[in-house]
Amino acid sequence: MVEQDFNPQQSLELIETMINRAKDKFAERGDMYLIWGWNVFICSIIQFILLHFFQYPYHYMVWMASWPVFFYQLYQLRKKNKQRKVRTYTDHIIAFVWVTFLVLIFLLAFLIGRLTGGEYYSHINPVVLALYGMPIFLSGIILRFRPLILGGIGCWVLSVLCTFIKEYDYQFLMIPLAMIIAWIIPGYLLRARYKSQQ
Amino acid sequence: MFKELDPILHSQLRLAVMSLLISVKQAEFIFIKEKTNATAGNLSVQVQKLKEAGYIDVIKEFKDNYPNTSCKITKKGIAAFEEYVKTLQEYLQVKQP
Repeated sequence: MVEQDFNPQQSLELIETMINRAKDKFAERGDMYLIWGWNVFICSIIQFILLHFFQYPYHYMVWMASWPVFFYQLYQLRKKNKQRKVRTYTDHIIAFVWVTFLVLIFLLAFLIGRLTGGEYYSHINPVVLALYGMPIFLSGIILRFRPLILGGIGCWVLSVLCTFIKEYDYQFLMIPLAMIIAWIIPGYLLRARYKSQQ
Repeated sequence: MFKELDPILHSQLRLAVMSLLISVKQAEFIFIKEKTNATAGNLSVQVQKLKEAGYIDVIKEFKDNYPNTSCKITKKGIAAFEEYVKTLQEYLQVKQP
């Protein structure tokens, strides 16, 4: 860039160009949606099978499989942070939307456990679904990505539908359904959008 | 009578740096260099001037054992940038028929 005198019109053009350049290729790759979408999808299907067909009392143990996925994601995030040359406000806000979600999900699991005692499992699914909708919907708004917005709303609809399912085994099937509409489909669409920008 | 344009911002490279930094939270020196197509020498002189004016913060840290410089706009910088754009608009409004 050569230093020279420039008029107000050129100043404004320069500002506009630089702001647009800062926005280049900041797209979300959708990895996190796919990793977690498939993880939760598979775990919840296995949990349903263990519960419904085998009446296995420790059906929830299947969720232990999330720990390796969690550590894998931490590793990926660290790697991504090292490669990243710029931190945008969008990244910052979305990161904290997910932090809020994680805090709330652990908090609600604890609170519902404390408040309902034995009734724990018959209440957890609608609440978890309602909560799943929040980070997805907000991410959709922040990234201006309609499939995520619709996925978030879909989770909220499923959470209401869930309360009408009397046999609570079947409530567990709402979770994989939510994963497909809110995480897996938007995840693949995000990945496609990211690749098309490269 | 027109207000004078802030001389610190009314320079192509410094304005380019400020426009980049106003749209992100924090950017590495190398990122700014790529986006502005400036030479490292020229860019560090201009970054230093913006820092002395209190418009940006320069953060020096280590990344994989190598020194790494990042820049971030300050509140004073945001106010100066807004004022600069406002003055530009005044200039352009009068010029328009």
